[in-house]
Amino acid sequence: MAQIDLTLAPTGKKKSKKRSLWADAWLRLRKNKSAVAGMIMLATILIVIYSSPLYLDYDNDVIKPDLTQTLQFPAKGKLLGTDELGRDVLARILWGGRISIGIGVLAMMLSSIIGCTLGAISGYYGGKTDGIIMRSLDVFMAIPSLLLMITLVSIMKPTITNLIIALAIGSVPSVSRMVRAQVLYIKGQEFVEAIRAQGASDFRIIVMHILPNAISPLISQFVMEIAGLILAISGLSFIGLGVQPPDPEWGAMLSSGREHIRDVWHVTAFPGIALVLTVVALTLVGDGLRDALDPRMKR
Amino acid sequence: MSNHYIEVKNLKKYFQTPGGNLHAVDGVNFTIDKGKTIGIVGESGCGKSTTGRLMTMLLEPTEGEIFFDGKDITKLTPKEMVEYRKKIQIIFQDPFSSLNPRKTVFHSIAEPLEIHKVYATKAEKENRVYELMELVGLSDRFVNSYPHELDGGRRQRIGIARALALSPEFIVCDEPVSALDVSIQAQILNLLKKLQLQFGYTYMFITHDLSVVKHFSEEIMVMYLGQMVEKAPVKELFANPRHPYTQALLSAIPVPNLKKKKERILLQGEITSPINPRQECRFAARCSFATEQCRKEVPDITDLGGGHSVRCLRIHEI
Amino acid sequence: MQKKLLEIKDLTIKFHTDDGVVEAVNKVSLTVHEGETLGIVGETGAGKTTTALGIMGLVDCPPGRIEGGKIMLDDRDILQLDEDEFRKLRGKEISMIFQDPMTALNPVFTVVDQIAEVIANHQQLGEKEAEQKAIEMLELVRIPAERAYEYPHQFSGGMKQRVVIAIALACNPRLLIADEPTTALDVTIQAQVLELMKDLKTRSKTSMILITHDLGVVSEICDQVAIMYAGEIVESGSLEDIFENPLHPYTNGLFGSIPDIDKEVEFLSPIEGLVPDPSDLPKGCKFHPRCKYAQHLCSVEEPVFQEYSPGHYAKCFVYEGKLPAKEVKKYE
Repeated sequence: MAQIDLTLAPTGKKKSKKRSLWADAWLRLRKNKSAVAGMIMLATILIVIYSSPLYLDYDNDVIKPDLTQTLQFPAKGKLLGTDELGRDVLARILWGGRISIGIGVLAMMLSSIIGCTLGAISGYYGGKTDGIIMRSLDVFMAIPSLLLMITLVSIMKPTITNLIIALAIGSVPSVSRMVRAQVLYIKGQEFVEAIRAQGASDFRIIVMHILPNAISPLISQFVMEIAGLILAISGLSFIGLGVQPPDPEWGAMLSSGREHIRDVWHVTAFPGIALVLTVVALTLVGDGLRDALDPRMKR
Repeated sequence: MSNHYIEVKNLKKYFQTPGGNLHAVDGVNFTIDKGKTIGIVGESGCGKSTTGRLMTMLLEPTEGEIFFDGKDITKLTPKEMVEYRKKIQIIFQDPFSSLNPRKTVFHSIAEPLEIHKVYATKAEKENRVYELMELVGLSDRFVNSYPHELDGGRRQRIGIARALALSPEFIVCDEPVSALDVSIQAQILNLLKKLQLQFGYTYMFITHDLSVVKHFSEEIMVMYLGQMVEKAPVKELFANPRHPYTQALLSAIPVPNLKKKKERILLQGEITSPINPRQECRFAARCSFATEQCRKEVPDITDLGGGHSVRCLRIHEI
Repeated sequence: MQKKLLEIKDLTIKFHTDDGVVEAVNKVSLTVHEGETLGIVGETGAGKTTTALGIMGLVDCPPGRIEGGKIMLDDRDILQLDEDEFRKLRGKEISMIFQDPMTALNPVFTVVDQIAEVIANHQQLGEKEAEQKAIEMLELVRIPAERAYEYPHQFSGGMKQRVVIAIALACNPRLLIADEPTTALDVTIQAQVLELMKDLKTRSKTSMILITHDLGVVSEICDQVAIMYAGEIVESGSLEDIFENPLHPYTNGLFGSIPDIDKEVEFLSPIEGLVPDPSDLPKGCKFHPRCKYAQHLCSVEEPVFQEYSPGHYAKCFVYEGKLPAKEVKKYE
């Protein structure tokens, strides 16, 4: 045919399929080796830990003392040995992980809901609103967050709900600041003005346009913040303000094993390793997410 | 009441800065008739974009009135404002930042329709989006694309489609082509012109490039440091520029023509600060005609007749 | 005939990205004579800046790679130099001005220090002497000496661009590459900078390559012009050749797209279509999908870059007599 194709299609000739930025991000994430390793690690940890009720019995395997078998070294049957009350360390790590990670994730969710709301309002409206919100958060910021959590938990009683609340409150100031900074940046972009010119309400602008853009670069930081919170729970348990005995929790296990650390290493080492592995996995995934969600990282 | 479609009276916008009041727009007056185009020309910092934002109610004026079809839109209640937002639209300069990177072309164009709940059914809305895309020359295969996958020209077409979605009457074009390649610029300019002929839009065309507005507008207003320095019908302005700044601006444009090399008027120095300006002609510091008097008083606007007015003390001498 | 300073032969630069190979520069040949200014004109993605970075030895590698060609400075192929030798060349023999004066200066050093540093790097001068020379350079670009000890943020855009020019000229380079030096500036400031560059050009014997998308700017200071499209040079010749007698349909289209300040027209005559994606270039003549004269031949075969009058080259089948159209209508 002596016909020339006059349609120029620099971005692909087919009608583009419906797909989301998240799908693109997933593709990029899959290419990132360390992120994939992190995801595999994290998935394994989560599956093993959260399926533990299927193969463990709380009363018999996790909290039942067996004083004939105290501080046994790892051996067949008790792969990671037993603790000072003769309980299986492996079973307690698996069971305790549910609490550590569960509290970390829930606390982070709570704090990101509060933090996003405060940060978005503060960044979007600016002026006096911003001043009031940010100055009040500065008061919290001035206190080291672990100290703040300790204070809150000791006032409120160490139940799991209170722990989550205390941890969330402790991390709200930093989350709000991150969100606010992002919102300030995005607010200055022309597309927000364009949407305002269409007559959209402030609520619509914040929820549908600013927040989705503000949060995605922060998601990775949120994920890493979970790691920080797990460490904080362990810290609290370590000083006796976190999860209460006989419930297992990694920090609490570290704490109780501390007395015997000179004689038997495994009681403290294994919960510690579990903690480190989880934090490393979360950090790897977080790093990967940060790169994957940045559209400039396409090439 | 005047019979102009749009009438702007003594429009002012000051921004508070640590150094004092920044006089972004300082007492601007103009009128636009229905279906016509006014070109606002000036260099960066002259207040042209701020004027555009004020006209579209994205900024609140410090002082002054904007009559739109006889109604002062600076005094609208938020509820009335929503109705006027449909009639007044804006096209932005930067097609990269003026689109939400997380919305597809479809959602960007449909957004105004959703905000104002124009259509009851999804099918009607979809039809309208496709209609708009066709209007601005966007192939429908891009409907699910994201802005970052498209080039500047196509993105600017999305911006135009979005502005047209609510069938506006008045459109502010804020440097709509200055971020685009030369060959694409001409396409977009032609498109805007075609749409005006088809739908009778009234345009306010903001640009730093006099040659661009030449083809576009009936009237041109030249701004310098927040003030109008010269305003005239387009032919008159190009044939007979009277203000020293307009003359310099016209002569500064590099013309791609070897035979018509003009004598160039080079301006001294650069734009002075718009923060707390002194009581003087704001152009005096760069003007080769400036006298002692120019540095002592703010010149009034002289009407030369035929819609040509100039803000210069020495207008009759130069 | 002046002496050849720089001669580029068949320069090819490709970028290897995830989305495929981008042919940024494809067999580009250019010559710059001593004391001459060459304008490279083209739109976004035409390969202008990549060509310049190629000459400077600054192509990011990876993903970029110079895949072929020669860049002869005098009689040396500078592509054969190692990184150390290249560094000595940069600034001293070839220097470059970038588009954005706002980011080209280091905000924590005074203006005079930044110029003196370049001078000290390349010439065996003491601190005092380098500073003295730096102030001279500032005066050359018409910045009063008393402002030399200020920081970049105290300068306006036009003055910053002049400082950038002063830095580039500090070591009397033989070739200056200016990449869109006035695009970020206001019209009246652009006029000042252009005037300055014209003046410097006549005073010093520095050769220059001016990269721009603005044919108006080209007509002000260039002697030779090369028009680039999709990584190739489609037409080149003297300023008069290109402006009085443009051959290639793309060159004519560019002129037609510019709103002419001296003419009355209702609609402009733009080039239809879009700049092609450099990772997916059309076959045959790269311009054929947008060309009014294109025939089937243009989509399968590539035209030859040929000389049509002394020094005036073009790459189009119209002039090879292979198309029904015997000439390209001038833009008027």
